[in-house]
Amino acid sequence: MKKNTLWLYLFTAPLIIFFVVFLLAPVIIVFCSSFMEWKGFSGEISFIGFDNYIAAMKDAEFIVSFKHTIIWIVLQSTVHVAIGVSFAIIISRKFKGWKVLRTAFMIPNMISASALGFIFLMIFNGQIGLVNSVLHKLHLDQFVRNWLFDPNTAFVTVTLTWLLFAGLIMLLVLTEIGTIPSSLYEAADLDGASQWQKDLFVTLPQLRNVIGTCMIIAATSKLKEFELIYLTTKGGPGTETMSLPLYLYNTSIVQNNFGYSNMIGTVLIALGLVLIYIINKVFKIASDE
Amino acid sequence: MKIKGYSYVTSIALISIIPFLWVVMLSLKTNEEIINSPLALPAKLVFEGYGNALEIAPLGQYLINSVIIAVISTALNVLISSMAAYATTRFDFKLRKPIVVIMSISLLLPITALIMPVYSIVRFLDLYDTKTALILVYTALDLPMSFFILRAFFLTIPKELEEAAYIDGASFMQSYRRVILPLTSPGMITAGILHFIFCWNEFLYALSLTASHNARTVPLALNYFTSQFAFDYNAMFSAVIMMIFPSVLLFIIFQEKIIEGLTAGAVKG
Repeated sequence: MKKNTLWLYLFTAPLIIFFVVFLLAPVIIVFCSSFMEWKGFSGEISFIGFDNYIAAMKDAEFIVSFKHTIIWIVLQSTVHVAIGVSFAIIISRKFKGWKVLRTAFMIPNMISASALGFIFLMIFNGQIGLVNSVLHKLHLDQFVRNWLFDPNTAFVTVTLTWLLFAGLIMLLVLTEIGTIPSSLYEAADLDGASQWQKDLFVTLPQLRNVIGTCMIIAATSKLKEFELIYLTTKGGPGTETMSLPLYLYNTSIVQNNFGYSNMIGTVLIALGLVLIYIINKVFKIASDE
Repeated sequence: MKIKGYSYVTSIALISIIPFLWVVMLSLKTNEEIINSPLALPAKLVFEGYGNALEIAPLGQYLINSVIIAVISTALNVLISSMAAYATTRFDFKLRKPIVVIMSISLLLPITALIMPVYSIVRFLDLYDTKTALILVYTALDLPMSFFILRAFFLTIPKELEEAAYIDGASFMQSYRRVILPLTSPGMITAGILHFIFCWNEFLYALSLTASHNARTVPLALNYFTSQFAFDYNAMFSAVIMMIFPSVLLFIIFQEKIIEGLTAGAVKG
């Protein structure tokens, strides 16, 4: 079908153009300008080698943002994934009402993160918040606090705005469970295996690949987490909940320190590649292409 | 054991929806009630908040902007990814493999990291603070996801159908329009719904690439509320409900399709 060659290039050209202008060119700009001093659009641009990276190692705000981002990545790829996987395994028994539970669990994943952030800002609000109202009702007034703005609780509270809501992970795992051959379970039944033994020794090993994929999705999602922090604490109090994406926003859009912010961008992209590499190695995910 | 499992999933599902039910309830209470008895059910349903929300914030304008941006970007995004998915699943040519590899890498790119260059490219194209900027940027950022959803879908359609069309003398374009488009429309709907929700919900790029009421989208209205009218809780909660209603509704109606799409798009990466 040689005469189709022109058509094939025409059909892929729009995708390639959009990719080059809005994904490839930005990645190249991020990487190259991370070695430059570039402040503001009219400011001069000069090559400074690794100075931005060296400055970052002495920048307390960068270090704390980096540390928080790593903690959140670890929590997300373990606790968050575990919640999604266990939820999926339990509702895969398709008992009455499982679809309702699935829908309910998915809702926080379908609405905008900015709305979710705002809702949590209100839930943990010191005055009218749901959490404090319940504590008052239960006469546990000693625990009442301004959750998101108290340095002792801000980090944990922000973490709670996403940690439990593993709807997407649950969906991916649930689909994978559907593909496990029923003969495996029949064999386990013959051996007199109990339900939890089947979950642990039949289902779980079959989920290795999808759990690896889920860990990659969960871990990399924290490299772009912005809204939930921006709309609740904005990284505060102090730098208690500051993260790399938020620091990147502050240094670029707010301070116009482009060289420095693109150094942070390069760190984020590199972290993403490292995470994908490590998780792929650990789970030996088979490539299907 | 069984009971423990059920109560575990039920409590997690409850934790997932209680925040929304609480917000719905507060949007129907007066401000006095919200402050004095935040847990009690509304004494009488108050719908004023919804009207007030539209008056206080330029929410109406933002809603129109969001609809325009999401609709045009969805059409563009789905068409572009469908064409590319067709070319890369049906034919072998030089760019096939590179496109698939590059798209699968882009799927996991932390797009937050690209905010500054995208901002400067948008300025360079003289599109800052326009709907066009958001339409183009959203279309591009979500291409990898739509591309893989459609690819997964194309791979399930037997090749014989187009071969028959070719034998009947159909051209490349004809076989795409008459055979492929109708057959893949369910896949396009799935990709389209997900992209629509993506545009509707996106916050960071909307915040960075727009400045005026002409281009700002619904998620930014919340920012407006928290910074300027922090004490009209009732209107604020009503605004949140109006904002999340379309995504929740789309999700509930098209649940099966969305689940199918999310699974196809994510597993490929």
